[in-house]
Order: sequence, then C-alpha cells, then structure tokens
Amino acid sequence: LCISGGLPQPTNITFLSINMRNILQWSPPEGLQGAEVTYTVQYFIYGQKKWLNKSECRNINRTCCDLSLETSDYEHQYYAKVKAIWERNCSKWAETGRFYPFLETQIGPPRVALTTDEKSISIVLTAPEKWKRNPEDSSISMQQIYSNLKYNVSIYNTKSNRTWSQYVTNHTLVLSWLEPDTLYCVRVESFVPGPPRLAQPSDKQCVHTLKDQASALKVKI
Amino acid sequence: QEFQFGPCRVEGVVLQELWEAFSAMKDIQAKDNITSVRLLRKEVLQNVSDAESCYLIRALLKFYLTTVFKNYLDKAADSRIRKSFSTLANNFFVIVSKLQPSQENEMFSISESARRRFLLFQRAFKQLDIQAAQTKAFGEVDILLTWMEKFYQF
Repeated sequence: LCISGGLPQPTNITFLSINMRNILQWSPPEGLQGAEVTYTVQYFIYGQKKWLNKSECRNINRTCCDLSLETSDYEHQYYAKVKAIWERNCSKWAETGRFYPFLETQIGPPRVALTTDEKSISIVLTAPEKWKRNPEDSSISMQQIYSNLKYNVSIYNTKSNRTWSQYVTNHTLVLSWLEPDTLYCVRVESFVPGPPRLAQPSDKQCVHTLKDQASALKVKI
Repeated sequence: QEFQFGPCRVEGVVLQELWEAFSAMKDIQAKDNITSVRLLRKEVLQNVSDAESCYLIRALLKFYLTTVFKNYLDKAADSRIRKSFSTLANNFFVIVSKLQPSQENEMFSISESARRRFLLFQRAFKQLDIQAAQTKAFGEVDILLTWMEKFYQF
C-alpha cells in the first residue's frame, strides 16, 4: 500500500497504435528526476464493470506497456490508466481518453515492389500485417480487417522535379508514358476511409527507367 | 456512394463527412463518466441481418434526432462544434427520410427482431439521467457510424 496522491501523476498518457499493436505510453511525473519511480498499469473495457490488471506492467521502470492483446477486440473501446510509485508514496491514476483501436490504429505502409522498363514502372503493393503476439502465429493482413483499404501513391520525377499522386484500391499500378533513362522515386501511404488517422508513408524507393532502345539503336547506325 | 440497408437504399450521403463531423466532436466522450455502461453494445448491433438493418437504423436515427440531439444546439457554444453537429443531424435526417422499410406481414418477425434490439438500446438509455444519457449516446456515434459503414458502398 502507498499514500495516494503523494506524488504528481504521470503525464501525456496515450496509446500509440500501429497495425493494431497498441502500446500505452506516458511521461514521468514532473519534478522527480533521479528518483527510482516505478509504474503500475490497469485497463478497462468500455461498458464493463472492473478495471483489470496487466501483470507484466506492475511496478515497472519503463514508461510504456504493451496492451495489444488486452485491446485486440475490434468491437470494443478501452481506457487505460497508470500511477507512479516511489518508496511509500504513489500518485493518483492518470487515465487515457476512450480508445477505439478499430478507428484509431495507424495503418502502416504497404510493402512496395518496383519493376521498370523504358517508359513505365510497375508497382506491386502488399498490405501491411496486423500485429501478432507470436512470430509463428498466422499472419492477418490489415486488408482483411479493412476491406476498403486504399493506397495513396506519390511519384517524384527527379529530372523534372515534378510530383504527382494517385489513389489505388487494388494492389498493382502501372505508371506509363514516363521518360526513359530517368530516376523516379515512389512513396506509398495506406488509407482507410473513416475518421482521420495519422498516416505512415513508406520509405522512399527510387528506380531508373531504362534507356530508350530506339534512340540507342539510331546512335549505333 | 450509397447506403444499402438491405432493401433500403440511401443515396446522397457522404459517410466521410459524418466521420469528420464526429471527429470534431469526439471530446464529448470525455464528458461521459459512466464508463461501465455502453448503450450500443454488441447485443444491439452484432450479427444484424440485411433485412433487419433497415428497421434498426431507422429506429436508432429517429431516436438520435428526437431525443439525443434534442436541445443540443443550445448547449454547443463553439461554432465549429455547432457546424459539425448540424452536419451530423442533417445527414441523419436525410437518411431517415429516405428509408422506406417494408410494412408487409411476412416482414413482421424481422421488424420485431430489430425492434427488440432497439429496445435494448432505449432501455439502457432510459436508465440514466437524461443529460448523462444524451452525452453517452452522442459519444457513441463512432460505434454507430462504424456499424453503418458496413452497409456503405464506396
């Protein structure tokens, strides 16, 4: 037992959620630098009665706690709270707002494969995978969770310095009428209609269109 | 882009606008302190057949318009919230006005099933103080929209 309210509360308590991996994170209480503060976490399912313990996040030193398993039912909304403990004192609980993973999780970028020829680039996209508890668990694509998953493909022509983008619903896109012998860079973001969500673009990938064989032949002749 | 609640089709409603309207008002959830009660719980919305969906959505949206949203504008001081609220309410009104569920006898058991679901919601609502219930129901519009999206053709 500890004296509640003897410490300031942890701050900035939020869920960081990407592909249904739901991490509770917070900042240490102010003014306790150097003190060996520990934390305890509980979570709550909206509409139910009791706060539930997360045993792996009792008296921990770190300022984050993975609640992915506990918050994995898409039909539910959740709350979480954390308190700070130091010696015989502890803070009041600091609580999140209502967290709705189905609507709030960030959809990670797809895997992007590029192939090219003289005047076109073929783009093949693979939807990101949902978080899974064990690596050997079977994979679930985020496409299976969000049937209306789309992609925003941005293309940058390094020679003309021009950028354009387009929305794609299926997994392949062929960019035609490109300039030969030119470096193009591509970034892709996943997108789901619905409430605004943070987006995570893919890393920039660049590919060179081939030299124009016809003009190369003329040169030879 | 249209809703297809079983046989009931509703055109002219852009679901993304409803999402954006609600997102602007999501802070209302922080005013709902009765976290042990969820009005739109699984028993109300889970496994609703297409045929049932028209009856259920009509009952729910009519309730939202007549009871949940009632007098809300008087309380909404912030103009951005008022604009979002109007977007939500007007679109709900459009949907309700376009829903024409069948009244034929053979549909009685289906409409009854939908009515039982709605009564679960309404009973839970009435067990709360009216202001708390309005705030809670308003905060659950994201649950309602998530369910409605299943019937939306992008």
